[in-house]
Amino acid sequence: MLIEIKALRQELPGLCDIEPLALCELLASLGFPVDAVDTSNGATVFEVDVTANRGDVLSHRGLARDLAAKLDMELSTLPVTTLREGAALLPVRLESEACPLYATAILELGKAQGTPSEVQVFLGHMGASAKNLPPVDASNEILHRLGQPTHAFDADTLQGALIVRWAREGEKIVTLDGVERTLTHQDLVIADEAGAIALAGVMGGDSTKVTAATQRVLLESAFFDPRTVRATAHRHNLHTDASYRFGRGADPAMAQMARDLLVQRLEAWAGAKLVGAWTAGAVPPTAPPIPYNQTLLERVAGEPIPRLEALALLKRLGCQMAPEPGCLQVVAPSWRHDLSIADDLAEEILRLRGYAKIPSALPPLEGAPEPLSKDYLKRRQLASKLAHLGFCQTVTYGFVDPLESQEGNPQVDEQAWRTLKNPLGEEYSLMRGTLLRDLRDTAALNLDRGAREVRLFEIAPVFVAQPQDATTPIRECWTLALAWAGETGGEDPLTPVRKVSALAGKSHLIGVLKALDVPDAAIRAFERWPLAGVVGGAKNQLGWQFEVSLEAIPDAADRVIPAFKAFSRFPSVERDLSLLVKLDQGYRPLADAMTAKVRTSAREAFQELRCVDVFRHKSLPEGRQAWLLRLRFQHPARTLTSEEVDGWMASALDVARSLGAELRG
Amino acid sequence: MEPSLLPIDILDAQQGFPEALAACKDLDGLMRLKGVYIGREGSHSARLMELLKAASKERKRELGGAINVLKNAWEEALKARQSELEAARRQLATFGNTWDPDLPPPIPARGAMHPLNQLIDRLVDVFRPLGYHVEEGPEIETEAHNFDGLNIPADHPARGSADTFYFEKYPELLLRTHTSPVQVRTLLRLAPHIQEKGGIRFLAPGRVYRKDEIDPTHSPMFHQVEGMLVGHDIGMHHLKGTLAYAMKALFGPAAEVRFRPSYFPFVEPGCEVDVRCPLCGGSGCRVCKQSGWVELLGAGLVHPNVLAYAGIDSNIWSGFAFGMGVERIAMMVSQTPDLRLFFENDQRFLKTMGGLD
Repeated sequence: MLIEIKALRQELPGLCDIEPLALCELLASLGFPVDAVDTSNGATVFEVDVTANRGDVLSHRGLARDLAAKLDMELSTLPVTTLREGAALLPVRLESEACPLYATAILELGKAQGTPSEVQVFLGHMGASAKNLPPVDASNEILHRLGQPTHAFDADTLQGALIVRWAREGEKIVTLDGVERTLTHQDLVIADEAGAIALAGVMGGDSTKVTAATQRVLLESAFFDPRTVRATAHRHNLHTDASYRFGRGADPAMAQMARDLLVQRLEAWAGAKLVGAWTAGAVPPTAPPIPYNQTLLERVAGEPIPRLEALALLKRLGCQMAPEPGCLQVVAPSWRHDLSIADDLAEEILRLRGYAKIPSALPPLEGAPEPLSKDYLKRRQLASKLAHLGFCQTVTYGFVDPLESQEGNPQVDEQAWRTLKNPLGEEYSLMRGTLLRDLRDTAALNLDRGAREVRLFEIAPVFVAQPQDATTPIRECWTLALAWAGETGGEDPLTPVRKVSALAGKSHLIGVLKALDVPDAAIRAFERWPLAGVVGGAKNQLGWQFEVSLEAIPDAADRVIPAFKAFSRFPSVERDLSLLVKLDQGYRPLADAMTAKVRTSAREAFQELRCVDVFRHKSLPEGRQAWLLRLRFQHPARTLTSEEVDGWMASALDVARSLGAELRG
Repeated sequence: MEPSLLPIDILDAQQGFPEALAACKDLDGLMRLKGVYIGREGSHSARLMELLKAASKERKRELGGAINVLKNAWEEALKARQSELEAARRQLATFGNTWDPDLPPPIPARGAMHPLNQLIDRLVDVFRPLGYHVEEGPEIETEAHNFDGLNIPADHPARGSADTFYFEKYPELLLRTHTSPVQVRTLLRLAPHIQEKGGIRFLAPGRVYRKDEIDPTHSPMFHQVEGMLVGHDIGMHHLKGTLAYAMKALFGPAAEVRFRPSYFPFVEPGCEVDVRCPLCGGSGCRVCKQSGWVELLGAGLVHPNVLAYAGIDSNIWSGFAFGMGVERIAMMVSQTPDLRLFFENDQRFLKTMGGLD
C-alpha cells in the first residue's frame, strides 16, 4: 500500500516532528514494514507492507489511527458535515446479507470545474492517474485517504430501482475495464431493473459509468461482506483497490461519512447540487464483546502488565469497555474485524508497548526429550557416509516429465494416480516414481559442463500409487539413488585412468553399496544398472546407477557399542589358488560351491574365499581366463598345521575341477 | 723399454686406450673393451702372448717385461673404470628406489552433503540441546492438515489452485505448502499423551511445494524447518529466549534477534523475527539493505484454534511455533545469487557449498 507522508501528516499532525526514517522504524515496530521509499516526485511516498488481517490500515486515515494509538496522539478532525438524509429518491433493495448497508445520494453536477491540482498530484502518488472527472477522482481520493471505497454511477443511465442481489448464473456484465464477465450465483452485484450494473465491491459497470457528459450522479458508499468480495475478485481475477479494501474488511461505520465527504467534494469541485441522500439498511451489529483476561495477557507477555496500562492501550485503539459482573468485556471498534479473542487483545497490548519490551527466557524442560527418529538418523548417516566416500548429494524437484519416466516404468495407468491436476507445466506434472531419471540428467549435465568424473547421490521420497488404499492412496517411499559416471583416476602418477562406464566399473558402485550395508539380495535384484544419457548431443553410456529403498538398508544399531565378539589370536593362513576357468564361468556358483565344500571340512577355521585377480590374455588357452582365488584360514583355538590346510586346499581344488576349472600351471 | 720392441698396431692400441676407456659410458661397453684388450682370445694381450711365445730366448725377457707392464696398466685401468661404472649403476638403482614426495599424491575423492541438508542438520543440532527431536510428515497432504487444522480460512487465497498443487485423481490431496501440517499431525498424535510427556517440542524439517515459476528467487519446491513447543504458561518471552539462543548457536555470540508484529493464521500473537545481519554484524551491507537486520523467520504463540483442533485444552496448554525457509537462510548466509543453483546440482557448486560434516 502506498502512503504519502504529507497526507499521513494531515491525518495525524503530531507526525510532523518525526523524520521519514524514524517513521519507517515506527511502522515496522507496529507490524507494517516499509518496503520502499520513493522520493522521486517531490513527495515522500512509502510502500507499506500490511498483513492480510488488517483491512483497517489500508488508508492514510487508518494507518494514522494506528500510529496515533501507538504514540498516544490525536487524529485530526475530519472536515465533514453530516448530511441530512431524506426519503429515498429511488428504491434501493438489499436482497443479500452480504450487503447490510448502502448509503447513497443523487447530485446534479454543475459546470464541470475539474479536480483540484493537489488532488491530481496526490492520486498520481497513489499510482492512480486522475481522470479529471470529479466524481471519479473524488471517489478515488477518499478511498486512499479514508479506506472506504465508493462509486459514482451516471444516474441518468439507471433504469428503475437499485437492487443489491446475487447474480444469476450466467448473467453478463461489462465491467469498467471493458471486459465482459460471466457471473455465477455467488457473485454479488448492484443491479437496476435492466440487469447488473456493478460487481459489488469490486468494479463498476461500463454501461453506467460517469463520463464527461454525465449530468447527474448516484453515489454509492456501502459495506460488503469481505468473503464475498474476495471470492468474486478471485473468481474473475479482478483485483482492484476497492476489492482489496472490502476484501480485507472495510469499516461499516465509515460508509455514510464517506458519502458525505464525497458529496462535499463534488459540491466544491464541480458545483454539484445535492438532490437527495438516503441510506438503505443499517450498520451491521458489532462483533460480540471479548472477555478481558489479565492472566492470559501476562502469560503471553511474560511479565506483569498493570491492568490500567493494558486497558488504556486498548482504549487508545478505540476499544470500549463494558464492565459486567465478574468479567470485563472489551468491545472492538467497528474497523477492527481481526479482534475476536482474548489472545488478540494481548497481541494488541504487546504491539503498542513494543515487541522490543518482551523479556527473553528459555522455557523449562517439562518432560524428557525424545530421541531423534531412526529414519532421520539413517538418512543423515547415509548422506554423511556417501559424502566421505566421494559422492555429492543432489536435491531435485519431486515432479518429473511423465513421458521420460516411462522408460523402465511402463505402467502408464499407474502414473495417472500420481499426476498433478495443476502442474507448473507438463514437464513437472508427475510425482516421480524413481530418482534415477533426475540423477541421470544431473550426471549428464555435469559431464556436459566438463566434469571428468561424476559421483552423485540423492535421498528423497519416491511416490507409489496404491489406489486401493483409501487412507494412503499415494505412498511415499524414502529412496537412495547413486550414480557414478565419467572416468576415474588419471589425476596423479599412481592412479591410472579407468572409464567408469566400462563393464568392470559397475564393481566400483557395488563396492559403495556394500560399504553402506545394502544387502546383497537388494543389489542382485536391481535391474537398471547402466547409466545412459545424452552428453554433448550424443547418447552415451555414462556409467552406473542404482536405487534402493531406505527400508532395505539396516537401521543404525541400537547399542552405542556393539556386543563383544571374540576374535582368534592364532595365526591366520592365506593360500592362493590360481585357476584356469572357462570365460563364461560365473564367479558366484564357483565360489559358493568351493566355500560350501571347504566349510564342511575346515568348519570354524575357514574364514574367507575371494578372487583377488582376474587375468585374461591371448597367452592363455583359448576360451579360458585365470582367476587367482585367495583362501584364508584361522582357527579360533589353535594353530593350524600345514597338512590340514593342504587338505582343505585340495578339496577346494577338487570342487573347482568338478566345475570345469583346472589348476593353472 | 724401446718402443720398437712392440708391433705398430699394439702401439696404436695402447695410444688409443685412454680415449676408448673414457668413451665407455656403461658396463656393457666396458666389457667389450675389456674383451678387445685383455680377453682370453683374439685380444691385444692374447696376441702379445703369442708374440712372446715366438720370441727368441734373449728377447723373451725384455719383451716379457714390456708386455707385463702394458697388460697390468690395461687391467688396472679397466678395473678402475669398472668400479666407477658399477658405483654409478648402484647410484642409479638407489634413485630408482626413491619416490619424490612432491609428486601429486592420489587424493581420496571428496564428496559433499547438499548445502540445504547440511543446514537442516545444523538446525537440528542447534535445537537438540533444548530437547527438540525431529518429526516428519508426508509431502502429499490433505487439505485438513495443510489448511483446516492451521486455522486457515476456507476462502484463503493460498488454498487456490494458483498457489497450491492438487492431484488429478484425489481432489482432497495436495502437495503441502509448508511444514506446518507436521504440527497438526504431531499434535493430533501426541495430544492423548501430552500430560505424561510433559508437553511437546519438536523440529519439523522438510520439502514443501508452492506454485511459483522457477526464477532466481522462486522455486516450486523448497525446504522449511518448523519448530514447535507446547507446555504450561508459554509466552512470547519463551519464544524470544529460544530463538535468541538458536540464532547465537547458528551465527555466533554476537547474533541478536528482533521481533516485529506480523500475522499468520495459526499463531496469535504473531511476529516476524529479524536477526542482526550475520554478514556485516549490523553496520549495514548489501544483504541487509543497510538496515543491519535480516528477516529470518515467522513465529508466534500457537493459536488456541490449532490446539483445539488437536483436542488440546488451550486453558491448560500453550505453546509457540516458528518456521523458516532453509533456502532463504542458505542464500543469505552464502550470498548465493541464484536459488536455482541449489537444484541444478553442479558438482562444483555442491563441493564448494556443501562439503563434509
